[in-house]
Amino acid sequence: MSDNFVSLSDLTLSYGQTVAVPNLNLDVVEGELIALLGPSGCGKTTTMRAIAGLLTPTSGTIAIDGRDVTRVAANKRGIGLVFQSYALFPHLTAFENVAFGLRLQKMPDAEVRERTEKGIATVSLAGFEKRKPAEMSGGQQQRLALARSLVMKPKVLLLDEPLSNLDARLRLEMRTELQRVQKKTGVTMVFVTHDQSEALALADRIVLMKDGKIEQLGTPHELYAEPATAFAAEFMGFENIFRVEGANLMSDTGQLPLGFTAKSPMLAWRPSGVQVGDGPFSGRVSASSYAGGHREYVIDTPIGQIKADASIETPEVPIGDTIAFGLPETTARPLAK
Amino acid sequence: MFSSTRTGLALALPAAIFASLLFILPVGILLSEAFKSDAGWTLQGYIDFFAKPLNRTVFLRTLKLGVLVAGTAAIIGYATAFAITNLSPKSRGRVFGLIILPLMISPVARTYAWIVILGRTGIVNDTIVGLGLSDTPIRLLFTETAVFLGLLQLFMPLMIISLLSAMENIPKDVIPAARVLGANWFQVFFKVILPLTKEGLVVGGTLVFTGALTAYITPAILGGSKVLMLETLLYQRVNVANDFVSASVIAMILIVMSFSANLLLKRIATARK
Amino acid sequence: MKNLTSWAIIALTLTFLIGPFIIIIFAGASAGEALAFPPDGLSLRWYLKVFTIESFRQSFLLSMGLAIFGTIAALLLGIPAAYALNRYDLPGAETIRMVVASPIIVPGIIVGLALLRYLVIPLDFTVTLALFLAHTALVLPYAVRVVSSSLNNLRSDMEEAAVLLGCTRLQAFNKVVLPNIRGGVLAAFILGFVTSFNQVPVSLFLSGPGVRTLPIDMLSYMEITYDPSVAALSAVLAFMSLAIVFIAERLLGFSRYV
Repeated sequence: MSDNFVSLSDLTLSYGQTVAVPNLNLDVVEGELIALLGPSGCGKTTTMRAIAGLLTPTSGTIAIDGRDVTRVAANKRGIGLVFQSYALFPHLTAFENVAFGLRLQKMPDAEVRERTEKGIATVSLAGFEKRKPAEMSGGQQQRLALARSLVMKPKVLLLDEPLSNLDARLRLEMRTELQRVQKKTGVTMVFVTHDQSEALALADRIVLMKDGKIEQLGTPHELYAEPATAFAAEFMGFENIFRVEGANLMSDTGQLPLGFTAKSPMLAWRPSGVQVGDGPFSGRVSASSYAGGHREYVIDTPIGQIKADASIETPEVPIGDTIAFGLPETTARPLAK
Repeated sequence: MFSSTRTGLALALPAAIFASLLFILPVGILLSEAFKSDAGWTLQGYIDFFAKPLNRTVFLRTLKLGVLVAGTAAIIGYATAFAITNLSPKSRGRVFGLIILPLMISPVARTYAWIVILGRTGIVNDTIVGLGLSDTPIRLLFTETAVFLGLLQLFMPLMIISLLSAMENIPKDVIPAARVLGANWFQVFFKVILPLTKEGLVVGGTLVFTGALTAYITPAILGGSKVLMLETLLYQRVNVANDFVSASVIAMILIVMSFSANLLLKRIATARK
Repeated sequence: MKNLTSWAIIALTLTFLIGPFIIIIFAGASAGEALAFPPDGLSLRWYLKVFTIESFRQSFLLSMGLAIFGTIAALLLGIPAAYALNRYDLPGAETIRMVVASPIIVPGIIVGLALLRYLVIPLDFTVTLALFLAHTALVLPYAVRVVSSSLNNLRSDMEEAAVLLGCTRLQAFNKVVLPNIRGGVLAAFILGFVTSFNQVPVSLFLSGPGVRTLPIDMLSYMEITYDPSVAALSAVLAFMSLAIVFIAERLLGFSRYV
């Protein structure tokens, strides 16, 4: 199993004069499902397009399975790409869409037919062969786009925001589908997303990107429980992030005394890590919403707004009332910057 | 919508009647002249017309140039339209404006420029003589090539605009998707772009073909009486020989050719589906 | 496709399309006697000469008159027709549309000849009247098409709302429809004007002594003159059309309606 099946070395990508991704270094393990995660403009899609060959790097190299493909044209890299818009050919039937790449290779018709039918069956679209993309639902179109790339037996499969266009139920189905396909075919998958929960659910490793650089690289657990920076923490759901000065927690609006000694310049709490109803501090509830399994409060405090989740068991504190809360050391996440 | 059909008709009919009286009727009568003779309806007019070698030459030449101009415009048009879609939106708008610009200028002005370029003391000849490729200036004007160039320049913007609008309807990532699936640029063109821009090609092709068929000014200026096309022939027959039967025959031929071109291209477009 | 290749192709095509026009401008500005490019020295004398030729003044006025009045007439016929076709469910709507659009399909020279033979000669119309009618018929399809597309963008609920508020149909038309399709009408006017002004084939047979449109006058001038004034003339004609279009673009963002 190659540790650098896909290898990006000192890769710089630009649009005209603007540098989108400066000096990126990343190695993708063979057979893994890796996510490029980040807000829009962070360079994740740009990087993906560069791997696909749709964007020429300004400098640096891209290697796939040991072969330097930096100057290789997009149609000769042996990778697959499922576009966010699916990019199905509107003038072709589902069957012909999937067979498109195979036919380009001048394979004998029988073999094309066999592989295409198998590909269509793999994504549970048997029976849809004669339909045009316009006659299929969003979820079906996406599975078709997936099949179209998979039948080519690509070395690497790239997916651009695979779950963003889908409603909650379809998202779950597609997630399962992607995992199943990956386990079955063992293909190395790189997918791009702005949704941290998608990345957490699907990926073996996550590459969190910001302004074209890697903010943090790690397993889902590492990113979730141990974000290294304020940006990473905020992206992974730590809503309450503050500076530490001496014995106090500081913000631009005020301060709160920490009950313990901090060992890092910043601390962060998840809403679920805030102690609600009981604690040394108090504030005024300015918003309250019911989220099924818990209640989400926004509390106005001297230090700014604190987002806190409370269990459904505890009685609701109405908007405008005072509520007690605590920021315990046990759930605090130390941050370097 | 409103239901009073009578008012509707009252509004629309004046235009329709005007067009019919002023236009369809006279043209219809003119065309019928081609079939008349002292003995009643006959095709003799056509037979006589095609019996003359000059007429046959002019007919074939007009057809040939129509096809050549349309074909060349299609090739250059596709390349240009595709190049334009690769530009930023701002540049695209500017280039588009520059392409439409010539359409606003009188064909007389646009065609006359070729006299300066292709004339005995024009740019091309100056270059040829200057480079020593020939001792004396070559006759470039009043040749089929001159007419071809003039017509191509005149009608190419129409093809480009047609193709451009068709290309903008190709879904966003379809071309990169084809590339990633292994297609080289030829395959991308023939398997993806062409099928998806068929209608644009039909519209553009018809506009250019019929335009070239029915052009008067360009063949008149650049072809003169040495390179007659159907319309300049028509003018000549009427003005010089008062030969209205020939004129009607030619008129009929022109109309039939435009209509057939239209139908044929439409059939090709739907057949490929 | 790389950006460089794209720009190269575009540059080549644009040179082919516009280059000749640039050449003409300079050829007309030659200080010498012969028509050539590059010109021997620069001078505006040929441009000045163009403006002094009497017959051009007359034919210019005629062309202008035809363009203005012909287009207005076409709009007077075409706006109601476009409105009716768009808002009413007419029997034979397709036929009417085809009839009104027909002048574009038939080659202009045939129209001119037909009108000459069956209207001018038998009915003794003056040449000017025949030209006026012909130009109106020529512009009519453009008028209907452009105004139709403008109307398509205007939903009919506005008129219905006006009627419910007390307007008669005619008032609703004046107060609601007209102001909103003003841009389309103006665009149709410009398009019609330019089409009529540059028109040659239709006017070929319908010209007579002293009654010639400017392009036709230019054509005969070109047959006998071989000095740079012809190039200057072409350039002036081209500038006129462009000027009109630029003004229109400034005034209304023309391209939206075509």
